[in-house]
Amino acid sequence: MLIGNYKESYAADEALFRTATSRVWLALLGVAAAVFPFLAGDYLLYLANLMGVLAIAALGLNILTGFTGQISLGHAAFMGVGAYTTAVLAARLGLPFWVAMPAGGASACLAGMVFGVPSLRIKGLYLAIATVAAQVILEWVFANWNAVTGGIRGINVPPARVLGVALDTDLRIYFLVQSLAALHAWAAANLFRTRVGRAFIAVRDRDISAELMGVNLFRTKILSFMISSYYAGIAGGLWVYFTKVVTPENFPLSLSIQFLAMVIVGGLGSIKGTLFGTVFVTLVPELLKAATEATRSVFPDAMSYLAPMKDVIFGAMIVAFLIFEPHGLAEMWNRTKRFFALWPFKK
Amino acid sequence: MRKLRAMTTFPAALLACLALSVPARAADKNEVVIGACQPITGRFAFAGGAINAGLQDYLAYANENGLVKGKKLVYVYEDSGYDTEKAVATFKKIMAQYNPVIMYGESTGLGKAIAPELNGRYKVFYGSTSFSSELADPKNHPYSFVSGPTYSDMFGILLEYIAKHRGKEKPRVAFFYSDTEFGKDPIPYARTRAAELGIDVVAEIVTKVGAVDVTTEVLNLKRARPDYVIFQGYVLAPIPEVIRGARDHGLKTTFMGTFWSVDKTIIDKLGQDAEGYMGVNPYAYYWDDAPGIVAMRKYNEKAHPGEKYRPNSYIQGWFTGMVYVEALKRVVAAGKPITGDSLKDALATIKDWDTGGVTGKVTFVSNKAAVGRVYKANVQKGIFEPVSDWIHVK
Repeated sequence: MLIGNYKESYAADEALFRTATSRVWLALLGVAAAVFPFLAGDYLLYLANLMGVLAIAALGLNILTGFTGQISLGHAAFMGVGAYTTAVLAARLGLPFWVAMPAGGASACLAGMVFGVPSLRIKGLYLAIATVAAQVILEWVFANWNAVTGGIRGINVPPARVLGVALDTDLRIYFLVQSLAALHAWAAANLFRTRVGRAFIAVRDRDISAELMGVNLFRTKILSFMISSYYAGIAGGLWVYFTKVVTPENFPLSLSIQFLAMVIVGGLGSIKGTLFGTVFVTLVPELLKAATEATRSVFPDAMSYLAPMKDVIFGAMIVAFLIFEPHGLAEMWNRTKRFFALWPFKK
Repeated sequence: MRKLRAMTTFPAALLACLALSVPARAADKNEVVIGACQPITGRFAFAGGAINAGLQDYLAYANENGLVKGKKLVYVYEDSGYDTEKAVATFKKIMAQYNPVIMYGESTGLGKAIAPELNGRYKVFYGSTSFSSELADPKNHPYSFVSGPTYSDMFGILLEYIAKHRGKEKPRVAFFYSDTEFGKDPIPYARTRAAELGIDVVAEIVTKVGAVDVTTEVLNLKRARPDYVIFQGYVLAPIPEVIRGARDHGLKTTFMGTFWSVDKTIIDKLGQDAEGYMGVNPYAYYWDDAPGIVAMRKYNEKAHPGEKYRPNSYIQGWFTGMVYVEALKRVVAAGKPITGDSLKDALATIKDWDTGGVTGKVTFVSNKAAVGRVYKANVQKGIFEPVSDWIHVK
């Protein structure tokens, strides 16, 4: 049981993880993450990598939507911009991943800057529609700018190489994906301890008061779009190395909506919530599939009938979340944590 | 309540982890495992269920009749939702769990995404729903095959038919396709092939899939006055709308489609307007009297008495099963171990293979069964009837 949390120095006050308990758990999580790939099979590793990549993009969306209050339905397209830039640089020009991937992030950042401009004048649903325009325009560019994007056939990308080792298996790329995901989560958590991050929150809570307090709205909103798109771009670049091929059909509007679902289910304005949300949205459909499969021995054809039900159940679960846990998985986590912090003295 | 929630969170998470860790299944020497990622849900669901049923039924049929001597075929399928990422995950899951020697894939996207690992690591024999020319490429996709002609080949077959039935003037053709990989795949080939055959391509019209308002497109057709319009990249919409619109404007154009748009549903949908509609289908229809199709109907009467009609996608799945079994038979006959490598080598030996009329005589060239037939709608009977013999594509 945790009795008190005294801070005796500025360093202690500024720490990201404040208690010894949380640091121990974090270290354990790190160890588990390092051991996991050697125990898990291909399937789990693949899912872990997929979640790592999607988590980076979802973090970006949470910075924009959860922390700055700007809805975006074009997030998948920004991921696509990063993916295509990385693919072109890696496949056509043969640049190494540590050049191609940041370049992907940078180009997505620029695209975000351009498509973020309308956010100064429009808000809420109107902005959502404006970002759908970004999605449509960029998707069209991916499919039709044949000279650069390879049109509908897309681009095949060679694996990333680190110190001469090709990251061509799930195991090898695991460490790159997870360390980048951890780095970006850490950076995002720290962002909101700076002036810029606080300004984002101020804009979200009430933009007029934020402006009165000296926050430059235009600059702040654009910056939020840029950072958010940069995250999407990095995720896109990583995604390219992970799937080894990129086509225009990989970044549909439904993926943008999926990111929004991750952020909302996880908890708007929460970094760890974003991670939970990514895990939830990726794993629950797989779990439901595993459940239908478990009935195979009894009903050999269950998959044909139950497969469509899976989407229904998943949809119902999201609705249930919004009703019973509007603050998302992050809030559930906090409650669980509080329970154990006071256990066994409080019921 | 809170306590309960907190107490259940961890066990639930733990259970979830357990459910996802897949135990490998013990292998049986006399079993041949065939895995499949099927698009039972998602955008391809209209065909996925039938494809799955066709493949499953043929493998059951092969087991019943002992087509592969001394081996029992075990079919394991999972839904992959027509989503490349999910499909790759499913592929890996089935590989880890059942270690099959043959896999079936849900889309062109999966074929492309899994290719590096298929060639380098898994080395399993791979068939799929796709007719993309990209996968019929023994150099980059040695383990994959296309269970029919590619879309380019289908265009080739239609254009050849048009060239053969030309009048005095140069035939005028328009291509009407969707803004997707599926729609655009054969177009570059179709342009060059048309030029070779002396056919004028008078218009190319591109729309979204399922476009609703096609007024401008129909007006474009009216202006171009093509003798033939070939659709590609659609299943149903907007084909009926375009044909109706064109008839309203008094166009005498013959409309044609490729595999996905020559199912019976299009006649049902168009009614009288379907008169004269043509298309290319790599297979025979469910009402055909070829022995292979009769066997299929007999099997269905016995196993699924409720099913009176099976769509083309079912026959596609069935035919893919036939290819698997034929390759297996050849490997077993040669006394070789059953592996992806031996199966792909066996595929290359398939020449003038008699499929009992499910399709024409099959020779696998460039890992595809490049044969098809041109059909014409018969509105009175509500069926498609062949108007050409089986056409082999080089």
